[in-house]
Amino acid sequence: MNQKNLFNIAENWFQEQDWKPFPFQKESWNAFLEGKHGLLNAPTGSGKTYALWFPIVLNYIKNNPDYKTKHKKGLKAIWITPLRALSQEIKQSAERITQDLETQMTVGIRTGDTSAKERAKMRTNMPDLLITTPESLQLLLSSKDYKKTFKNCSAIVVDEWHELLGTKRGVQMELGLSRLKTICKDLRIWGISATIGNLEQAREVLLGPTSPELENSVLVKANLNKKITVKSIIPKEMETFPWRGHLGLHLLDQVVPIVNNSKTTLLFTNTRSQCEIWFQKILEKYPEFAGEMAMHHGSINKETRLWVEQAIRNESLKAVVCTSSLDLGVDFAPVETVIQIGGPKGVARFLQRAGRSGHRPGKESVIYFLPTHAIELVEASAMQKAVLNSAVEDRIPYLNSFDVLIQYLTTLAVSNGFFPDEIYPEIKQTFCYQTLTEEQWQWLLNFLVMGSQSLKSYDEYKKVEVEEDGKFKVNSRAVAMRHRFQIGTIVGDATISVRYQKGGYIGSIEEYFISKLSAGDVFTFAGRNLEFIRIKGMAAHVRNSSKRTNKVPSWMGGRLSFSAKMSELLRQELYTAELEFDQQSEEIQALQPMFSKQREESLVPQPHQFLIETFKTRDGYHHMFYPFEGRAIHEGMSSLLAYRISLLTPITCSLAFNDYGFELLSDREINIQEILDNNLFTPEYMLSDLQKSLNSNEMARRKFRDIAVISGMVFTGYPEKGVKMKHLQSSSELLFDVFRDFEDDNLLYQQAFTETFEHQLEEGRLRLALERIAEQEIVWKKCTQPTPLSFPIITDRLREKLSNEKLADRIQRMINKLTK
Amino acid sequence: MRKNIQIHNQKFQLHPLGGLFWEEKSLLLISDVHLGKVSHFRKFGAAVPRKAIHKNFLLLDKIVSDFQPFQICFLGDLFHSSLNKEWELFENWVGKTPAEILLVAGNHDIIAPEKFEKLKISIFPELVIDSFLLTHHPEEREGYFTFCGHIHPSIKLKGFGRERIKLPCFFKSNNQMILPAFGQFTGTHSLDPKDSDEVFAIVEDSILKV
Repeated sequence: MNQKNLFNIAENWFQEQDWKPFPFQKESWNAFLEGKHGLLNAPTGSGKTYALWFPIVLNYIKNNPDYKTKHKKGLKAIWITPLRALSQEIKQSAERITQDLETQMTVGIRTGDTSAKERAKMRTNMPDLLITTPESLQLLLSSKDYKKTFKNCSAIVVDEWHELLGTKRGVQMELGLSRLKTICKDLRIWGISATIGNLEQAREVLLGPTSPELENSVLVKANLNKKITVKSIIPKEMETFPWRGHLGLHLLDQVVPIVNNSKTTLLFTNTRSQCEIWFQKILEKYPEFAGEMAMHHGSINKETRLWVEQAIRNESLKAVVCTSSLDLGVDFAPVETVIQIGGPKGVARFLQRAGRSGHRPGKESVIYFLPTHAIELVEASAMQKAVLNSAVEDRIPYLNSFDVLIQYLTTLAVSNGFFPDEIYPEIKQTFCYQTLTEEQWQWLLNFLVMGSQSLKSYDEYKKVEVEEDGKFKVNSRAVAMRHRFQIGTIVGDATISVRYQKGGYIGSIEEYFISKLSAGDVFTFAGRNLEFIRIKGMAAHVRNSSKRTNKVPSWMGGRLSFSAKMSELLRQELYTAELEFDQQSEEIQALQPMFSKQREESLVPQPHQFLIETFKTRDGYHHMFYPFEGRAIHEGMSSLLAYRISLLTPITCSLAFNDYGFELLSDREINIQEILDNNLFTPEYMLSDLQKSLNSNEMARRKFRDIAVISGMVFTGYPEKGVKMKHLQSSSELLFDVFRDFEDDNLLYQQAFTETFEHQLEEGRLRLALERIAEQEIVWKKCTQPTPLSFPIITDRLREKLSNEKLADRIQRMINKLTK
Repeated sequence: MRKNIQIHNQKFQLHPLGGLFWEEKSLLLISDVHLGKVSHFRKFGAAVPRKAIHKNFLLLDKIVSDFQPFQICFLGDLFHSSLNKEWELFENWVGKTPAEILLVAGNHDIIAPEKFEKLKISIFPELVIDSFLLTHHPEEREGYFTFCGHIHPSIKLKGFGRERIKLPCFFKSNNQMILPAFGQFTGTHSLDPKDSDEVFAIVEDSILKV
């Protein structure tokens, strides 16, 4: 069958549905059938699944002309999705094609939810089209004779690649692909990504920077211009609007008319606890919404979530309070309006959420931005400009993640074993390990086999063994089993399931929260008031309670930082505070009362000014700095500055930061004049100073926790088997100290520091920020009390610490304070 | 820098490495060394740095040479796991240490008693010496003052400017003293002192009463 005939099949099918294929869909079919690899840039709900399922099926038809009568068994294509919740939807669209075209192809799902029985069945009888997650793909690579399974696989599609890129799951994917390229005879690699700043790089990471695959690839853009309207919810009474906070409940009454005026509204919150609270409060104040409103977040059980998703499609819900759990996949045509509560901390994410509404072609998307405190109004205004210019962030891919590589090599050793000479060139072709040296490679192999770089007679280290023919292999069943449980690179906080005594599953909560409860305490979860009874195994037993409570579990939401572009827009927006009233946006106009208060003792900085404020409260001496560069940069800058100050005089301080500025809080006054006189903001020697400052705080230690788990140095325990994760926590803490004291040249230990630099602190941007400050006039305001700008920062409890004073001195001061 | 205290008219010295020395009896008390833990982890494929194994023995040597006791009593959890090759290192250490060694068994001590007896180490479920009770788990018994371990106590201190610090400590209540864990590769559990409690924190190489 030639290309034209194949295309006819597809176009006929579209006609039958009364649809017309988009140009980007045809473009993808074409490229795929020509044997090309590629990256498809298309948003959710644009028909991207048909852009790639079709050519996969057409390719099968092409190679098997008697496809209607004969079925050639075996895996033909893999579809990778980052969220297993999306797999059903993907399966349905695939089945629609395979059935309508009368092929006999089968479609299967394999994720963490798949039962052992089904998995065993797949071992002998793989579906033609397999939908799976990056972790489950790795698990397949850990099974015996995986090469046979994949031999005839003709395509792998990585969906939502932008979500994986910039995470270690992305690295895991790169490694999996590097293996498949060798063992599949005729493989096409495709990625699907929403719009991000570095699309070209995304393609390079997917296919390998120097690979023949990249050479033979295309970038297909959907270019569906969609109109997005952003509206801010501006508080009616600015005088009483809070300076800090993250809930936004003050504006609840202004939300209700919006909900009433639209068919279905999604309210996006940034954390699960915020989601719970909003749900609760709306029902308390507007009980008439009962039955018409639901909640959706990642900790609620799967059935409930599926029910909510179905109810949105049926238009039986007026409003759904949700978190990022509804960001991806799932097409919800009836959604008319989206409300974003609190700063979304990312233009790409904001656009994606906006795209949740007005899904029908030609309709505009409407998104409301609800600020949770005064300064977020500046963000709201900046966000509108960002959407106008599509100032979307980059996703920075990882480099040299030794932990993921160790995990991958162990995976291969668990299956059939591997020969280093065969694997090394594959790994060198990936983006992540393109600079891996022979020495580092040898180091990793030694580490796998000996757990160190030399052999000692008393050592009983055991993991991977080298067999006589030079094959690296895991022979211990126990090691293999532990490793399979451990595959996966997402290290979350330990979670515990919440159940009724009779066994009904409600959802899961971080163990940290449960550990603070005692029997009889009541807390809100999944929209219910629950009384805590006891912990049994890995489950918390609860019963319904009628008592009111204000305890809501907190989940550690990722604290994202503004991109360079967004920070720039934010500064520009703030500078308009000095303009004439009628030249300002309504958000900035609304902030007038706050700006006046700010000007009482301080000022609203202008482009040529760098503002420093100092004041004292009962917490201690506050030193505030406002570069407006985004959270990540402030984290690095505060650490750098504190370190440089400590060179002048011994200090102990805690650091807090947000997207606007940072604070050094100390028990004694820091001499700002000295900072200025010694030019402590200089970009000179930045790197070495920053490096030294890291040794004295906790950032690298936290990174190390994940590295220790991923590389298998700490075992997280069998799921639901009662091995408490507390054990993991303390032992990775201890491990870090042990490495620092005894083996600080260990590549995994050093990786913790490299990651902190590259992924957390964004060294390059920090330098630019310091250069900008060098050209500004520094304005130091001594205030008698906290200013509005400082408020959100000084009330932040999540802090870094830094000290170079003698421990004994610090403790003596604490004791003196206690006994005073 | 050691700290001297008196209990029931007897003199005791607290050592910043985490041991406690009873002067009148020339008895050194040490708790929760958790020998063998590093090897245990390594045996199960967790590559904890091997050099950490030796640190425990170096510290034991140091504290023994500081006090030169007649007797050393371990208050439980001497060995972390089942037998592994670290036992050989322990045998060597026992061989070159002149003091008599006693062990009050703890929950981790699952190695066969014969192995200890071969090294002339006597094992007890608990020990009573005059009006003092030596156990692994904390226990208050009328008429006695208890020395015990098990908890790995630490204390949290707060200062001005939201400063917070956690330190391992000797935790003394009216009739009981919980010793800190001597072992290197062990965690701590923080305790909240009551007014009647006395806490002796280990601050680098000195003991500070908090």
